[in-house]
Amino acid sequence: MEIELRLSGGITVVGIRGSVDGLTADDLMRTLSARVSEGAVRLVADCSALDYTSSAGLRSLLGAVKLARQHGGDLRLAAIQPPVLRVLDLSGFTGILKYYPDVETAVVSFAEPA
Amino acid sequence: MTVAIATVVHAGTRENLPRFLHFIEATCARIEADADTKYALHLAMEEVCTNLIVHGYRKGAAGPIEVAVYDECEKVTIVIRDRAPPFDPVRAPSPDLTSDVEHRPTGGLGLYLVKKVMDEVDYVPDTPSGNVLTLVKRKS
Repeated sequence: MEIELRLSGGITVVGIRGSVDGLTADDLMRTLSARVSEGAVRLVADCSALDYTSSAGLRSLLGAVKLARQHGGDLRLAAIQPPVLRVLDLSGFTGILKYYPDVETAVVSFAEPA
Repeated sequence: MTVAIATVVHAGTRENLPRFLHFIEATCARIEADADTKYALHLAMEEVCTNLIVHGYRKGAAGPIEVAVYDECEKVTIVIRDRAPPFDPVRAPSPDLTSDVEHRPTGGLGLYLVKKVMDEVDYVPDTPSGNVLTLVKRKS
């Protein structure tokens, strides 16, 4: 798994490439937690290159969403690939977190009233 | 049952989890599994092996996890044997999928996902001890 961070209009975009599984989920959680603790509480996960996740990945995503929301922000997902979206859907996660077809739309969503 | 096309056995430890995942990746490449089958088999291996490593073998020395893959025209079958205390994943309760973010627990998701992405999941206790889990994925 590779993580690439960039800023887009004040929103932290976290590009996740590869697999978020039992071997890499903790790394993802650590990276996201560190960003939130530094004050970057509005984040978008760019999932266009995320090709696999398991329950471990779901746990880290949920943990990061909770943390960001507790600090007044959110972690929103963008460009989720179909196999990953299926796992999110099976787990009921598509009902509790916000996701968008692309990064730009996800970034703009933070400007909308809650 | 046909002859297994690939088998592996390692101790059920965290250090060996990558070896189980590499095994299933290599096996999927060998049988030219389609994307959907590959995802399902990888997910099943990760979730079942992780469950054994974290829960089944949490007390005392880790026992073995033996995996055999059978490839047939219309389906791929994985048989996973262990020496852990009896545990029937088929009867394990489904996780809570309805609570909001704050209250959503994450336990139990792994085996639930396995039951959803595989077409058949069967369990029998092994003799003299342990468990045998048979997972079937029909090809696209």
